Amino acid sequence: MEHYLIAMAITAGLYALMALGTNIIWGMAGMVNLGVVGFVGVGAYVSALLTLKLGWPIAAGMAAGALAAASVGILVGLITVNLRGDYLAIVTLGFAESVRIVTSNEIWLANGTDGLSGIPGPWRADLGPHNFNLFYLGIVVAVVAVAFFVAERLCYSPFGRVLRAIRDDEQVASVAGKYVLAFKLKAFAIGTGALGLAGALYAHFTSYIAPDVFVPLLTLYIKLSLLAGGLGNNRGALLGAVAVVFFLESTRFIVPLIPWLTHVQGAALREILISVTLLIILRYHTKGLIPERLSHPALPAEPSPAHAIPSRTGAMT
Amino acid sequence: MAIRQTRRTVLKTGSALAAASILPSGSYAQSEPLRLGVLTPLTGAGGADGPRMLKAMQLVVDEVNAIGGLLGRKVELVVEDDQTNPEAAVRAARKLIEVNKVPVIMGTWASAVTSAVAPVCWESKTFLTTVSGADSITQLPHQGFLIRTQPNSQLQGKAHATFIASMGYKRVFVMAIQAPFAIPTRNRLEEILKANGSELVGGLIYEKEKTTYRSEVDEALRSKPDLIYLNGYAPDTIVTLRDLYRAGFNGPRFAQSYAVPAKTLETLPPEVTENVYTGQPSADIGSKPFELAAKRLGIAEPDSYECQATDWISIVALTIAKAKEATGQALRDNVRKITQGNGEKVSTAVEGLKLLAEGKEINYEGASGPCDFTDIGDIFDCKFRYVKVEGGKFKFLKVT
Repeated sequence: MEHYLIAMAITAGLYALMALGTNIIWGMAGMVNLGVVGFVGVGAYVSALLTLKLGWPIAAGMAAGALAAASVGILVGLITVNLRGDYLAIVTLGFAESVRIVTSNEIWLANGTDGLSGIPGPWRADLGPHNFNLFYLGIVVAVVAVAFFVAERLCYSPFGRVLRAIRDDEQVASVAGKYVLAFKLKAFAIGTGALGLAGALYAHFTSYIAPDVFVPLLTLYIKLSLLAGGLGNNRGALLGAVAVVFFLESTRFIVPLIPWLTHVQGAALREILISVTLLIILRYHTKGLIPERLSHPALPAEPSPAHAIPSRTGAMT
Repeated sequence: MAIRQTRRTVLKTGSALAAASILPSGSYAQSEPLRLGVLTPLTGAGGADGPRMLKAMQLVVDEVNAIGGLLGRKVELVVEDDQTNPEAAVRAARKLIEVNKVPVIMGTWASAVTSAVAPVCWESKTFLTTVSGADSITQLPHQGFLIRTQPNSQLQGKAHATFIASMGYKRVFVMAIQAPFAIPTRNRLEEILKANGSELVGGLIYEKEKTTYRSEVDEALRSKPDLIYLNGYAPDTIVTLRDLYRAGFNGPRFAQSYAVPAKTLETLPPEVTENVYTGQPSADIGSKPFELAAKRLGIAEPDSYECQATDWISIVALTIAKAKEATGQALRDNVRKITQGNGEKVSTAVEGLKLLAEGKEINYEGASGPCDFTDIGDIFDCKFRYVKVEGGKFKFLKVT
């Protein structure tokens, strides 16, 4: 049982890293990115290919995976520069599908739908399966902790404040002298870099990736994590990811206890539960478990009309 | 009627499972059921095939339980949905292995799912049985913890091309779903058709889950084939058959038996499925295990997946009885002792269990073929059973 819990904790950690990355793009900068799984795929494939085919060290492969995902993120950000809301969502969704289709068809590069197997994990053979999982949990927890710290710093830094200003009103931010495009691209790059790193961590953990891993189902889980935890809030992203994995796994044990359901109906019920949860959150609790703080800590306690405006713009620098 | 039966049988297992989890486990240690893992697609792209395989396995389990179970314990299937998704499947496999401690996982379908689950299985010494067709699967370093009842693309391509050429078709076009077996099978068909005086006039690969394949059908018809080989799964083959009919093509089509299962004939009007040939691995003409599986399932022509699922559970049950131990290691070490060799030929798990109890050697002959496995877990050469659809019904042609 404990080995199962360790494996699920790793999954939750990877979901949390993806949620933190997505939160920077979607929660802070307000860009709806439905291409989460595409960037995860880029990171996973780049790291897997570099370590498998060119014999790179695993850490270098992961770093390259994160960088590659960030570069692709900048590219997608540039392409979608004039798109907002639903239109951006559709294009990013299309991007994720293109990653899946390219990896399916470019067999010379990514081995097609057969996928890549035997991706090395750090000291996998020496540690044995159970110790490896425990060791990998340590790595994932460390990475998530660093990512959380960085994301928190970003959130309260002037950079984070500009992102929120862009999210709330792009034109106002622009009028305040902020170069909106550069901020958006930076947010995209940092967020997709984290997604790429999560993908690389996934690849070296499971040792196998294929185009079918990177389907919109995973994007939906991450989206659900953010909405459940609280969009725009890093602690919410962590809590949401853990809650989603807990929910996904606990339904395995609860649904079979319902005596009048067949296995097929039980499986369908698990899927329905996910959708219903998403709908309930969207309808009744859009702020999530830990809502984003509305009053900004940098705002003066008692703003007087005389200096309220200059101090606000000052806070944005 | 058939569906009703499953529901009831599955219901029984479900409530047994519920009871088992509520009762204190210590005091019932003697009668603790023997749990076997099933990981098959109940939702997602494989959602049409997983439930059929599950039903086939459950029916064999019921028969085994009716004669007292295995090693004096009641057999129980612990079922998880692989969602036809490698990531979700690995989570489900870990639950089966670590929480339910199953010695075997049966039923993975998509090649990507099998490739993702296989390392988890061999690392924890859990046996895995699959229908996945990608040639790469048995080449994984699985150390013997994997068997595949599905013939690989080399065997299938050779047999199907020989059959097609023997029926006198000269111009064959292949429409294949995007899957690992698509290109190897097409290349093999091309090679064997050529050797038999026919020709592969073209081929294409289509994306899964599309609502129409009209443009693919147009492309196929441009090369004026006299037979179209549909290398897909059941849901997309329904769409291609419909679109071929709409485009006015009423020539022969060839498909795997699992791509045109009995349910497809109920779904589509008879004129759409007229002249469809299907092929599936088989032990021999008038194969007794096949007929018994058909009778058990209550359908005239069980497809390849239902037959293979019947064989997995039968092989696993017999191996456990032979090894007198229900572990993955025991399954790995003993599976070939009951599937091949000079023992008495048996067609069902029940028959084999009786002989094993008498201390006899057995050789299980399955519904999907002789079930003799190579060192890497592939089946040796097997015969193929061909049927043709006429008036919305399967008509048996031959076994070669």
